[in-house]
Amino acid sequence: MARIQSSLNPGSAEFRRNYLASQARVAHFHAQQDAARHVRPARDVERLAKQGKLLPRERLERLLDPGTPFLELSSLAANMAYGGESPGASSITGIGVVSGREVMLHADDSSIKGGAWYPHTIKKIVRCLDIALENRLPVVHLCDSAGGFLPLQSALFPDKQMAGRIFRNQSLLSKLGVKQLSLVFGHCTAGGAYIPALSDYAVIVRGTGAVFLAGPPLVKAATGEIVTVDELGGCDLHTQISGSCDYPAASEVEALAIGREIVAQWERTPKTPCQRDAVEAPYYDPDELHGIIPDDIKRGFDMREVIARLVDGSRFHEYQPAYGTTLVCGYANLWGYKIGILANNGVLFNDSALKGAHFIELCNQNGTPLVFLQNITGYMVGREYEARGITKDGAKMIMAQSCSRVPKFTVMCHGSFGAGNYGMCGRAFDARFLFSWPNHQIGVMGGEQAARTLAEVKTRQLEREGLALDPSLIEGVYQDTLKAYQEQLSAYYATSELWDDGIIDPLDTRNALGVTLSAAQNAPLGDEGYGVFRF
Amino acid sequence: MPTLLTLDGTTSEVDIIGRRPQLNLRVDDLHCRVEELPSGGASPCDITINGQRHRVWRAREGDRIHVHLDGRSYSVGYQEAVRAAAQSGHASNEIRAEMPGMVVELRAALGDDVAAGDPLLVIESMKMQITVTAPRAGVIESIHVEPNTSFQKGTLLVLLRAVVE
Amino acid sequence: MLKNVLIANRGEIACRIIRTLKEMGIASTAVYHFADRGAPHVAAADHAIELTALVPTAAYLDTAQLLAAARTAGADAIHPGYGFLAENAVFAAAVEAAGLVFIGPQPEVIRLMGDKILAREFAVAQGLPVAPSCQQDGTLAEFVAQASAIGFPLLIKAAAGGGGKGMSIVRSAEELPARASTASSEALRYFADGRVYAERYIERPRHIEVQIFGDGQGHVVHLFERECSVQRRFQKIIEESPAPNLPVALRDRICAAAVQLAAAAGYRNAGTVEFILAPDGEFYFLEMNTRLQVEHPVTEFVTGLDLVELQLRLAGGEACTLQQRDIAQTGHAFECRICAEQPEHDFRPATGRVAILEPPQGPGVRFDGGLRVGLPVTAAFDSMLAKLITHAPTRAESAARMRAALAELVLLGVDHNVDYLGRIFAHPEFLAGRLHTGFVVEQAEQLVAEPLTPAVRAAVLLAAVLGTDEFSRLAYECPEPHASIGHWRN
Repeated sequence: MARIQSSLNPGSAEFRRNYLASQARVAHFHAQQDAARHVRPARDVERLAKQGKLLPRERLERLLDPGTPFLELSSLAANMAYGGESPGASSITGIGVVSGREVMLHADDSSIKGGAWYPHTIKKIVRCLDIALENRLPVVHLCDSAGGFLPLQSALFPDKQMAGRIFRNQSLLSKLGVKQLSLVFGHCTAGGAYIPALSDYAVIVRGTGAVFLAGPPLVKAATGEIVTVDELGGCDLHTQISGSCDYPAASEVEALAIGREIVAQWERTPKTPCQRDAVEAPYYDPDELHGIIPDDIKRGFDMREVIARLVDGSRFHEYQPAYGTTLVCGYANLWGYKIGILANNGVLFNDSALKGAHFIELCNQNGTPLVFLQNITGYMVGREYEARGITKDGAKMIMAQSCSRVPKFTVMCHGSFGAGNYGMCGRAFDARFLFSWPNHQIGVMGGEQAARTLAEVKTRQLEREGLALDPSLIEGVYQDTLKAYQEQLSAYYATSELWDDGIIDPLDTRNALGVTLSAAQNAPLGDEGYGVFRF
Repeated sequence: MPTLLTLDGTTSEVDIIGRRPQLNLRVDDLHCRVEELPSGGASPCDITINGQRHRVWRAREGDRIHVHLDGRSYSVGYQEAVRAAAQSGHASNEIRAEMPGMVVELRAALGDDVAAGDPLLVIESMKMQITVTAPRAGVIESIHVEPNTSFQKGTLLVLLRAVVE
Repeated sequence: MLKNVLIANRGEIACRIIRTLKEMGIASTAVYHFADRGAPHVAAADHAIELTALVPTAAYLDTAQLLAAARTAGADAIHPGYGFLAENAVFAAAVEAAGLVFIGPQPEVIRLMGDKILAREFAVAQGLPVAPSCQQDGTLAEFVAQASAIGFPLLIKAAAGGGGKGMSIVRSAEELPARASTASSEALRYFADGRVYAERYIERPRHIEVQIFGDGQGHVVHLFERECSVQRRFQKIIEESPAPNLPVALRDRICAAAVQLAAAAGYRNAGTVEFILAPDGEFYFLEMNTRLQVEHPVTEFVTGLDLVELQLRLAGGEACTLQQRDIAQTGHAFECRICAEQPEHDFRPATGRVAILEPPQGPGVRFDGGLRVGLPVTAAFDSMLAKLITHAPTRAESAARMRAALAELVLLGVDHNVDYLGRIFAHPEFLAGRLHTGFVVEQAEQLVAEPLTPAVRAAVLLAAVLGTDEFSRLAYECPEPHASIGHWRN
């Protein structure tokens, strides 16, 4: 496979401008992440220390194998919700290695309001267990939560994708033979009590760990019974009498060590066979990604330059290099895994949509995982293209992509606007994992486009009603729309709402895809076949 | 979480920094690039550390790993993570022999209430008689040795249980 | 010619005796306590008979059971080895009374030499020099008074035994009563005879002993001397022959004195006459050991004789044709006693299980051990595991050979003194042959292992931890690409 010949000029003024802007964006992202991870009220940190508890991230670090990666998911979930009261949506999820096994980790963040579950917390945990289900990843739950955040119960309790979904997913995981371990460090109250109960293994720390459907205050209110936390649902009760937990631990450190030893007992289930070759680092320096990503959402760039900084040896076998050139398709290896890449190099035309659909079929036949690199403004619009069937060609691509049996991975490299998001495996299309770069923007259309459209609609309305055209009014509509869009189009809003599995530093893309490609091989390929293609 | 090992009375941390292209381990402040064909603990084997090759024999005996390396023998203290974690900072009910020896006399009986420092039994080791005392207050739950019998280092001598108030 | 010999012993000496029995075509019968059921001497012997006792050592001290075992096995002789009943006159007499051959001296000679007072008087009568001493013949209080009269420092030990058991140096009258009492209680326990013995302690003495062999008819030869000055806790750990820096004339006088004593006693079989050699060249009779010594292999190396074979031939009724002029001392031999102990913790005994044993090999290297992989090392028996013996033309070459052999010996599963012995063999004073029985204590600081360099310490720790199941899995059983990615946080 030949190396991509880069035409990037790192000495150019444009490269420098892009580079500096990208670095600043990424630095801002990391600062946001640091704050979400570590900035906590002193009293919460002191309270945990007084209880002899480790911080949630200290627990995780002790649980993970040393010298191995941990891919944290949705580190900035809820960053624009609740006035920032629930950083990271009060939970930590990710994929790591414990006792030599790939596992999904879910940890309550007890350093935020006792680890209470906000609506976004539920969404994050449900997504975490969806990932476990889709990829058949064993789960380790690090439980320490005060329970649902009661003032917002209507947004976290009743609906299909709300709290109950956690336990539904846990049950389905078990049915699939995917193992779960709960380490109970703090309270598991009400629904939360089912997390250890639905796990195959549960370890509970004496003195601080407790599991009950209702805590002492609720019990007193309900029946008048006065009991202590330990009597009601402590370590000895559950490990000696009720059997709700399996292993008593004298300390958090011991619970983590027992947990590691439990995971070490788990069978290593064979992975789905896939083509894997020797690993080679990219030939081109991934740091140059900063110089490629434009500082302007409207500016295009050659996605081959991005591919050259992600894949093994910067080698790429391009499929149909001369046809439908606004969609770059081809094979490459990433951390040794054979992948099929679909990357946007402009608006999707009929030929690019047909090429994409065809290439997806080839990858499905070949058992090759698909990686979508999005920078898409949509499918081409206008009479000519409608007449050529741009809608039905786009539909073919969506059909082929939706019905794929191979795992799919999406990286939001820049813009994702309109129906192009669908064809390129947006969130609704069950990519196993979907990551965004900090410069990413997403919406049904771009901000300026929307502002212009709405200003145009307003102008027409005023004309229809015979009212005077007030330029300042039109300008107001334009500016208000632009402002609202800019906020909601941003990657931070998208990740806050869990429309992705997290913003990542572009330089982390290769590792994130490596870890997730490996995770995906734990599940068998999906069923073959498609629906009806409109020809 | 680093693994703790003791040698010559001091404890060292061993942690894994990386595995590729070679195993990269940290021993306290020293970084060590290790090349070893995984031997499953068999002896002898060759281990190359920072370019220096060593011929190694090793054998596990309880909490000790005996190592013969480059013509010298060493005894390294090691516990599996679960055992090491279980023993961190907890007053044990178990009174174990710190050295091999022989029981001369029992000074306490089953069910006795003992205070910290009370004699429990007299042992002889290294031709010396030593009185083993209670590390804390408790009740004698069980006695695991008899007079005139020998015991190994680490043998459980007496088991205490907490005094019930 | 003997047909079947029962070895009333265990461990390396039992294995040693069985080896010569096999060479001579004589059947061997081993005895063992249940705790020793897997020991090599049991497997090596043609027959093995279990002895029962509450305490393992008691089994090897049970005369009635030993004689019954000899009858069961059809043995015609008993070899006592060293330790246990080797110097017990009552046992020797019982063996002979049972119609069996006791491979050792006559019971009355054992009794004579076993009694410190009688032995000294006998030695004095033969013109041998002795250090002032006294033995308890009444109460302990009377003994304390008599001993104080000799003057200090004093060496106190069991009247009935040897081997350093219950031995101590007393430097003042104040500490004498308590030390005497301790020595007495230990003597009672180890030798079933609580009497104690005191003699003037000579500072910086050397321990020189002479191997003799007599036919019981007054014909006695010596097989030259051994130097056994390197001792810890009054027990020898390194022996050699010839003794370094010992003028030939003095050596000959000492050997002649030993022969004279043994001949006067009409000594039969192998024995050792021990002397204290003062820095001024004066020597004093210490005691006579009426048995085969632990350190007999050094004599075997320098004389080329098999002492056990000599013992067995004599016991089998052959005439002793060995003449003094036939015996030459060739080259230099060292013996190291490999003990299960922690030299860095005052030689505290260690226990464990032999996990790996790779004895050194090569010309002039001999390894006498009763060990096998899997053998438990318990506190029930003596801490000596094996002996390493080297032989070379000169002392320096023999010491170099020993150093190499100690480094080559791999014995894992129990703490031992091999490295400590290696440090002695690197010590300039030792290599210069400037020895005395306080050497180990005097040079204690120089004999401590040097602190490990960080690199060596790391190598040891890594070798240890990579051999464990848990850590090696952690290091080697990491999935890909995670192992290649390594530590990474996004």
